Amino acid sequence: MGVFVFLPLVLPLSAWPVARLAETRLHPRTATRLLTAVAVVMALCSTLCLALLMVVGTAQLPGNPLPDGWSDPEVRAALPYDEVAGRAAIPALTVVAAACARTLLRHRRVTRRARRALAALPGPTVAVLPDSAPYAYALPGGRGRVVVTTALLAGLAPAERRALFAHERAHLTACHHRHLLAVHLAARANPFLRPLRTAVLYTAERWADEEAARAVGDRRTVARAIGKAALLSAGTPAPTLAALAAAGPVPRRVAALLAPAPAARDWPSACTAAGLAVWGATAGALMSAMSSANSAVTLFLTLQAATPL
Amino acid sequence: MAREDGRAGRRGQGELEGQVLGALGEAEGPVSAAWVRQHLGGDLAHTTVVTILTRLLAKDVVARERRGRSFLWTPTADVARLAALRMRRLLDGEHDREAVLASFVTALPPGDEQVLRALLDIPGADDGGTGA
Repeated sequence: MGVFVFLPLVLPLSAWPVARLAETRLHPRTATRLLTAVAVVMALCSTLCLALLMVVGTAQLPGNPLPDGWSDPEVRAALPYDEVAGRAAIPALTVVAAACARTLLRHRRVTRRARRALAALPGPTVAVLPDSAPYAYALPGGRGRVVVTTALLAGLAPAERRALFAHERAHLTACHHRHLLAVHLAARANPFLRPLRTAVLYTAERWADEEAARAVGDRRTVARAIGKAALLSAGTPAPTLAALAAAGPVPRRVAALLAPAPAARDWPSACTAAGLAVWGATAGALMSAMSSANSAVTLFLTLQAATPL
Repeated sequence: MAREDGRAGRRGQGELEGQVLGALGEAEGPVSAAWVRQHLGGDLAHTTVVTILTRLLAKDVVARERRGRSFLWTPTADVARLAALRMRRLLDGEHDREAVLASFVTALPPGDEQVLRALLDIPGADDGGTGA
């Protein structure tokens, strides 16, 4: 083995430009699925790589329960900078595991609390809350529930309300919360994957926007619904409700809806920029996966050879 | 309906609030905490019911009036408003809720507001419903 053992840890950097390209050039549905898949593959490879480094690192510690042969010079020779990398991998993997566990727990807690808060309300699919803060959420679980406040509904025209509900239902039917959870976990596993998370957060919204535009039959109505909802939220006296979100994506979504619908074709040819984005991302993920698998097999064989029978 | 008494304090407090408010809603006029307790099946301790009623009072969804040595309670809001309050509290308390709940729109930085108004041709904040 050589330095390429570390490749899965840094390869997610290669996803930055392709995330940007896919975000603007691909159909949002394709972009969401592709970027989520790439993020998950890269996160798994990166974590596997970290785990292997940790095995080597742990084997060097005095008093560890691993076979003595695993700290032999042959094993160390297989890994560049084994002293530093092996030991650094132990806390790194601990941090990754803790961060992922926290994300999962928080996900479960928020969903459970939200479901419980709305349990007493009638209507299995929609929950209208009398609240002066304008907001709307898609709450996953079961058939899913669209949560919307009276303040937001009051600010929208009837057609725009239909657009809002179509948007939220699109989130629920397409199970966007799974994509979002996947990329959040991936971003925890390797911080280099954070731009992919941001991109998927955006493309999932765009995907739901496109579905809403299809359901309502008028792109401009959906654009107006989003714009008005954002402007309403901007004027909300309760800053905490809106202040935490990422900046900037709303005007881009509106602009995209005012433009013609994106081509529905899923996989563009490699001659276009969009095609390059797709194939670049796929190639990057494949390289990362192969490198990780290669490292894993080599390390496994090395360790097996070093194990006294 | 009611949870075991020991756990009622923390875990099911939200559910209990909903149940107590629901019971008040079914009453014809102001009722005492003892009435609420009986209406909920009598599984809860009297103090638990009073604690929940006091909490609901702090949320401004019930009102109380002194009658002799105890209070009589009336609901001032319905179950929907309580649900709204609890949802609001949940959203305010979670920094990372975007991980779970896909919201319709995210916050608008100041510069984006003009861009958005220009894009949609919305002149001012008091633009009524001019949608298609």
